[in-house]
Amino acid sequence: MKFAKAAFVGAIALGITATAAFAEYPERPINMIIPYGAGGATDISARTIAEPLGAAVGKPLVMSNVTGAGGATGSVAAQNAKADGYTMLFARVGSHSVNPAMKATLPYTLDDFRFVTVYEINPVACAVTPASGIKSMDELIAKVNEGGVAYSSSGVGSLLHIAAAMVLKEFGVEKPLETATHIPQKGGGAAATAVLNGTATFLCTNSSALASFVSNGQLVPLMVTTPKPVAGFDAPTAADLGKPALEKLVGWTGIAGPKGLPDDVAEKWGTWMAAATADEGFRSKMEARGSVIELMNPKDANDFIRGQYEVFRALVDELGMRIEG
Amino acid sequence: MSFIDSLLAGLQLVGNVEAFLALGLGVAIGVIGGAIPGMSATMAVALTLPFTFSMSPITGILLLLGVYKGGIFGGSIPAILIKTPGTPASSATVLDGYPMAEKGQAGKALGMALWASCTADLISNLALIFFAGFLASFALSFGPPEFFTLILFSLTIIAGVSGDSLLRGALSAMLGLLLATIGLDLVYGTNRFTFGNPNMMGGLNFIAVLIGLFAIPEILSMVWNPSSHDGVARSLGKNKVTFQEYRRSFKSIVRGSFIGVFLGSIPGIGAAPSAFLSYSEARRKSPNKENFGNGEIEGVAASEAGNNGVAGATLIPLLALGVPGDVITAIIMGAFMIHGLQPGPMMFVLNVDVIYGLFIGLIVSSVFLFFLGSVAIRGFKYVADIPRGVLFPAVLILCVYGVFAVNNNIFDVGVMFAMGGVGFVMMRYKVPAAPFLIAFILGPLLEDNFRQSMLMSGSSGWVLFRGPITWFFWTLTAITVFAIVRAGIRATRQPSVPTP
Repeated sequence: MKFAKAAFVGAIALGITATAAFAEYPERPINMIIPYGAGGATDISARTIAEPLGAAVGKPLVMSNVTGAGGATGSVAAQNAKADGYTMLFARVGSHSVNPAMKATLPYTLDDFRFVTVYEINPVACAVTPASGIKSMDELIAKVNEGGVAYSSSGVGSLLHIAAAMVLKEFGVEKPLETATHIPQKGGGAAATAVLNGTATFLCTNSSALASFVSNGQLVPLMVTTPKPVAGFDAPTAADLGKPALEKLVGWTGIAGPKGLPDDVAEKWGTWMAAATADEGFRSKMEARGSVIELMNPKDANDFIRGQYEVFRALVDELGMRIEG
Repeated sequence: MSFIDSLLAGLQLVGNVEAFLALGLGVAIGVIGGAIPGMSATMAVALTLPFTFSMSPITGILLLLGVYKGGIFGGSIPAILIKTPGTPASSATVLDGYPMAEKGQAGKALGMALWASCTADLISNLALIFFAGFLASFALSFGPPEFFTLILFSLTIIAGVSGDSLLRGALSAMLGLLLATIGLDLVYGTNRFTFGNPNMMGGLNFIAVLIGLFAIPEILSMVWNPSSHDGVARSLGKNKVTFQEYRRSFKSIVRGSFIGVFLGSIPGIGAAPSAFLSYSEARRKSPNKENFGNGEIEGVAASEAGNNGVAGATLIPLLALGVPGDVITAIIMGAFMIHGLQPGPMMFVLNVDVIYGLFIGLIVSSVFLFFLGSVAIRGFKYVADIPRGVLFPAVLILCVYGVFAVNNNIFDVGVMFAMGGVGFVMMRYKVPAAPFLIAFILGPLLEDNFRQSMLMSGSSGWVLFRGPITWFFWTLTAITVFAIVRAGIRATRQPSVPTP
């Protein structure tokens, strides 16, 4: 009896929201899901864009962190939401290109989302401690081939995990998974700590996560993956080292809705994002943290994410990194 | 720059009304946020973070630190009054704080919590100021094997909080370990016990489990037997803690503070294990051991000293290494970054004024905590007077709301009620809840560090004995286990004295 009543109330609520969708979008606050915890790279990026974006949208953006399982919990919440543009997701490289490429049993695929934009690119850098005595990628690779080298990551299926494997592969290490040991940690901070205290030899992660360690002299950068050098990182680019394929290896943040998001809604997001990313305060804040602001329209964003996904997927297949369980 | 110069530079930064106002406001927000069940200190800090973006760096960071410190103390208020830890760190406070409130000594328990918190806070801040460099380099010598042995030793706390029956405590701990395995496997990334439900992939939410285990069983037992408390009005008791009692507990407070400083300076442990460790050490050393768990004021003092001792010390890895020690400091680190400050050793050179400004602010925050805490106690202690028929439904609503708000996920509310059912059954069969919680917190840490050690060494067990730190903890563990076994044997030989 009670259940029937609840279902009835739910049905009415759904009916109300359905009619609301016909009016001019947006006519009520938009719920923005951040699939990672407060204070992390995604959270800070999302909250920084929320300011100018909210002004462009004209309705409040309700930011909610839904964390867990490497971004999967929040992504599923967005996947299951109604495709009316009132629930959007901050998609991130880990949750929407590495994890889908690696984990066979992930409850979502890229097809379950419609990407409306990618607005931020994060260069990836590889680093070691000064104590290791390693000064260049060649020295690192030589050491890897000797054996006994480990790399840390923020968890299985994270950008850090695939980044190290991809870098080793590109630099000619035949079987990167067997030659170097992967020591997963819980979170990016723990991954950096593992290199600092000698548990692991190196890590490859977003340059913003390494910036303070590099400027403090606690870590030595060996390489960055962007075509242009990264400020504050005294290290060659991947192209300088003759590995342009690594330029695909970058972090990014974008915004996605559930699949079936109407075209006009996606278009609106395109114009809002153009206005928001033009904001001077936003740009300077993001660039100070080492991000590259690169606005993509819905189509470009989709192509970019799929392109990266295919690269990662091919690598995962080749190295046998697929997680089946 | 000499010490005095740095100090003056720091004073110049914080020596304005705005900075102190932010600090005071932060402590107030923290105490209130912490006192609301389900709204943890972490959430309070996360919610305050966006407001600091537009402030000057030092003001913003002081505001967040105020919220953090206030929140850790505030959590003890509902822990004592309604058996619901407001924040995970105050779980240990429930053990003796709630029985004290039942005996009509709520005011006394709250007062002791405040005194212990402020003392520990001060010790922790001083440790940060004077020993940051030393403790940070010590923390860096903690790799997975050292962590593993530390956690193994910490698991012996279970014996200290099991109450009368070690067997029941072990059962409870086993259940906690079992439920902690839900989620993603650390090394293989495979799903464990998720039953195909994406909501289970992230594991059971800690706050949901915590509230389900402590608060919901109380409410259920009230529903089970609504009239059991009729006519038993809990009085507030004497509000004041006597100096005598403070002095009696002083040793435990100092010990707890140092446990907090030690565990806080190592990234990745947090305040809850520290509170439990401090509690069990106090119980082990106390002359009136039997009274622990039945409303011993020293127990409240030890737990609160243990969790507040962490608060200043977690800034050690943050400031000295640029590594966040727990979730809260990770958020605070975000605030540093937003203002273009990069925590780490160079900050002591480049932004020495900010560092000293923070130090001054931290010392002042202990004072603020004391005064604002006293005000909060005065306000909140009347909660003990509210008839249960009115109080409990309100608590239930707060719990549902709070657990939902942690992760904006209705599934967590379901977890809370399911754990409430488990907790209720455990309560009826006199299985203590604290070992469950300790195992639930420490289990994953133990497993992860063990497996990381094995990865490091290529599955050779010798890595677990690799240095003096591991040996130290192995020895401690051996001694403690020996003591527990000996006490167990003695207890079986002596005819048990029936408790009145």
